[in-house]
Amino acid sequence: MTYPAGRAEVEMAELYVKPGNTERGWNDPPQFSYGLQIQAGGPKRSPLTKRVAAPQDGSPRVPTSETSPGHPPMGPPPPSSKASRPPPFVGSCPPSRTEPMDSPVVESETLLEDVLRPLEQALEDCRGHIKKQVCDDISRRLALLQEQWAGGKLSTPVKKRMALLVQVLSSHQWDAADDIHRSLMVDHVTEVSQWMVGVKRLIAVKRSLFSEEAANEEKSIITAEQNQTVPGVQHDL
Amino acid sequence: MATYLEFIQQNEERDGVRFSWNVWPSSRLEATRMVVPLACLLTPLKERPDLPPVQYEPVLCSRPTCKAVLNPLCQVDYRAKLWACNFCFQRNQFPPAYAGISEVNQPAELMPQFSTIEYVIQRGAPSPLIFLYVVDTCLEEDDLQALKESLQMSLSLLPPDALVGLITFGRMVQVHELSCEGISKSYVFRGTKDLTAKQIQDMLGLTKPAMPMQPVRPAQPQERPSVSSRFLQPIHKIDMNLTDLLGELQRDPWPVPQGKRPLRSTGVALSIAVGLLEGTFPNTGARIMLFTGGPPTQGPGMVVGDELKVPIRSWHDIEKDNARFMKKATKHYEMLANRTAANGHCIDIYACALDQTGLLEMKCCPNLTGGYMVMGDSFNTSLFKQTFQRIFSKDFNGNFRMAFGATLEVKTSRELKVAGAIGPCVSLNVKGPCVSENELGVGGTSQWKICGLDPTTTLGIYFEVVNQHNAPIPQGGRGAIQVVTHYQHSSTQRRIRVTTVARNWADVQSQLKHIEAAFDQEAAAVLMARLGVFRTESEEGPDVLRWLDRQLIRLCQKFGQYNKEDPMSFRLSDSFSLYPQFMFHLRRSPFLQVFNNSPDESSYYRHHFARQDLTQSLIMIQPILYSYSFHGPPEPVLLDSSSILADRILLMDTFFQIVIYLGETIAQWRKAGYQDMPEYENFKHLLQAPLDDAQEILQARFPMPRYIHTEHGGSQARFLLSKVNPSQTHNNLYAWGQVSNCQEFEEGPGYFFKMLLLN
Repeated sequence: MTYPAGRAEVEMAELYVKPGNTERGWNDPPQFSYGLQIQAGGPKRSPLTKRVAAPQDGSPRVPTSETSPGHPPMGPPPPSSKASRPPPFVGSCPPSRTEPMDSPVVESETLLEDVLRPLEQALEDCRGHIKKQVCDDISRRLALLQEQWAGGKLSTPVKKRMALLVQVLSSHQWDAADDIHRSLMVDHVTEVSQWMVGVKRLIAVKRSLFSEEAANEEKSIITAEQNQTVPGVQHDL
Repeated sequence: MATYLEFIQQNEERDGVRFSWNVWPSSRLEATRMVVPLACLLTPLKERPDLPPVQYEPVLCSRPTCKAVLNPLCQVDYRAKLWACNFCFQRNQFPPAYAGISEVNQPAELMPQFSTIEYVIQRGAPSPLIFLYVVDTCLEEDDLQALKESLQMSLSLLPPDALVGLITFGRMVQVHELSCEGISKSYVFRGTKDLTAKQIQDMLGLTKPAMPMQPVRPAQPQERPSVSSRFLQPIHKIDMNLTDLLGELQRDPWPVPQGKRPLRSTGVALSIAVGLLEGTFPNTGARIMLFTGGPPTQGPGMVVGDELKVPIRSWHDIEKDNARFMKKATKHYEMLANRTAANGHCIDIYACALDQTGLLEMKCCPNLTGGYMVMGDSFNTSLFKQTFQRIFSKDFNGNFRMAFGATLEVKTSRELKVAGAIGPCVSLNVKGPCVSENELGVGGTSQWKICGLDPTTTLGIYFEVVNQHNAPIPQGGRGAIQVVTHYQHSSTQRRIRVTTVARNWADVQSQLKHIEAAFDQEAAAVLMARLGVFRTESEEGPDVLRWLDRQLIRLCQKFGQYNKEDPMSFRLSDSFSLYPQFMFHLRRSPFLQVFNNSPDESSYYRHHFARQDLTQSLIMIQPILYSYSFHGPPEPVLLDSSSILADRILLMDTFFQIVIYLGETIAQWRKAGYQDMPEYENFKHLLQAPLDDAQEILQARFPMPRYIHTEHGGSQARFLLSKVNPSQTHNNLYAWGQVSNCQEFEEGPGYFFKMLLLN
């Protein structure tokens, strides 16, 4: 999947790890963002699967280090310059145990209008082509989005990603738009669940409308060509 | 191939197969003396990004009792356009489409690198995937809210033309009619009374007017929209309404008095779900996904009463025959599981509660159908949320990893028969020349059904060598096995995956060394472990342990070199060196030891053990332990208390838990804050290294493991200490004047071996 330039900051901010809910689940594992989960499944850099055979003579092994009690407190660790161990491979997304980072680049605040207007326009474009009930339903949810945004109920990452979604939707990148909607549902379901399904439907409707129009265009071009090459023959259009 | 290890690894990568023995003993008698049976771990849908499926149907042997698929082991006469089946030696004519083949123009299925090949079947209309959510509403408020959100989220992860349905339950069971317009309706059932499939279908208005009995065939949803679509609708039509419906779900309204449990009718809810799918979509891929937050307390399948002061059964209760509801409940769920498997559907159970939920009684539902069992503390945890998300994970082609409705058939060359299979499957009761009379696992058949599976699902398949003792080694010197798996791919295409493998026969008397060198101790350990866990279903725990010990002793006697008078002289060759350790850890594992686990926990661990691939199964048997220090790169260390050192960080992976343990000195340094000082940046890296490795595991594993970060003296350190061997004896510990840092005063492997050899 390719992303247009300028989205790097938003992307990096969406590769995060949060701690699990240790109040409700003992030793709850950390929570990975949608972006990180999608990345998983590639080849591991060093799968931990090796084992060591036990000594065949069966003798108990006495530990060689300082496990007896009452030893004097250790000095500091070996300082960096004498480190024989190279730093571990740093992947593209070092995990942090903190809240999701805001974009390091200071951007102007995402405006509600910049997001809502294109969505409403997209709905208008589709109005004649879908059932009234569906249209009303989507419209209702866009109103809900507006209400929550204006009411300060949506977090910055959600706003940023919605701006991105609208951007790719306008340039007809359906898969990318779908993926962003999914990432919002996975990472921020509490904030977005009520209205996001409307945006999802809008993407689907726009996509099918677009391909329908493209198919019709193609058909009319072909028919036009046929008209030219075989004059005098009846065509049903 | 320099070593057998490389050979084994290459074969696993290509065919998804690991045999216990890679050179096969050529006589029945000798094979039984090898102790470990000839068997293989097979991953039928192993992910093969480099294997594009072919778009035609497989060519079959024309002998009706054979029907093996054309494969690279077959002899081919390119001029006469004939091929000889390598299993039954029948000469077959190639079909007309193969007229153009030649030595230089071979079809893919004859090339050796396509020992595993996948065919796409073009016949028949594709049927959509079906997801039926069965949701417990007797949850605490924030748990229910978290579950609702996860379900709403899942609607965004499902493909647009998948069908989805909703049943909610508590004291009553509600089947929701999904509609795109107007008011939503639901059908309410009492949770106390079980109903037959026909009654359910009648009451839901699914019965069509007098239709003659039809032969079983894939359901065509387009043919009967008026019947099925009321309860199971495509996502692209119903997502908005269903999102609202889910959002409006309330807790079960019936008040729960003090000292009581909520009345939960899980048995009837599941029964209705099975009946609904049975009547509308038999024989097409479907998942019944049960979400529950507590035990069934009412109706058929109840596992405990509603009085809180009567606790749910423990292993102790079961041993003392004091579990009132267990037999009846288990029978109820077994009946449902068998029906579901016969219909080609699978049942998942997502159980999130602090106390037990009845997984022991319900385990047959996921185990027989290939569904998932997920156990957590609350739906409002990362463990549940992310595990649930991973069900919908996609492969490199953007398709779901899950697959449905698989039938797996095994064919063998004449000198071998199939004794049985162990894994998430049911028998299809297909008799034939390949079927052995001696059963190991689910036997008496050469075909099994796996209704739900994914690229890691692995079966253990056990064989019997039937060649008589003095019969010569078969011509060509090789035996062969073919596995044919028909299944529904998540893209709804029907596919067939065919794997054909061969190994050399060898005479044990003269070639024992070759046979030894080709022993796969990892595969053997997992295959024996599966047999042991299978036995726990019908035998007492101590008997299973005795059986396991006896097998180990016999194996060591056969393959070890030792001086009878001197136990310390015992040696095993390299290809056996890890095996005794595996057995030692297996007998202490939660799969064979129920001490310290609830019946639900034991069922949960065994469920995952019986279906994972070799690498993950081994991790479960003998957890991985890696040590991080300033002295070099991370290295694997012995799972032993001697590996716990003050200046080391340990990472332990038990499959179900990831434990990071800081040694005493490391912990002191961290407390002193050295990682924040720039001149000690290497210490910061050292602390980070195991976290990065842990993250890689956590990001990919299903189900998601628990994560424990602890240090010397920490209470959570017990997770590490209870797994490692105590390498000191009692006497040594007392001499040091300290309490052992290990929880169990159990003897280590050294003592264990001595005892074995003295027998």
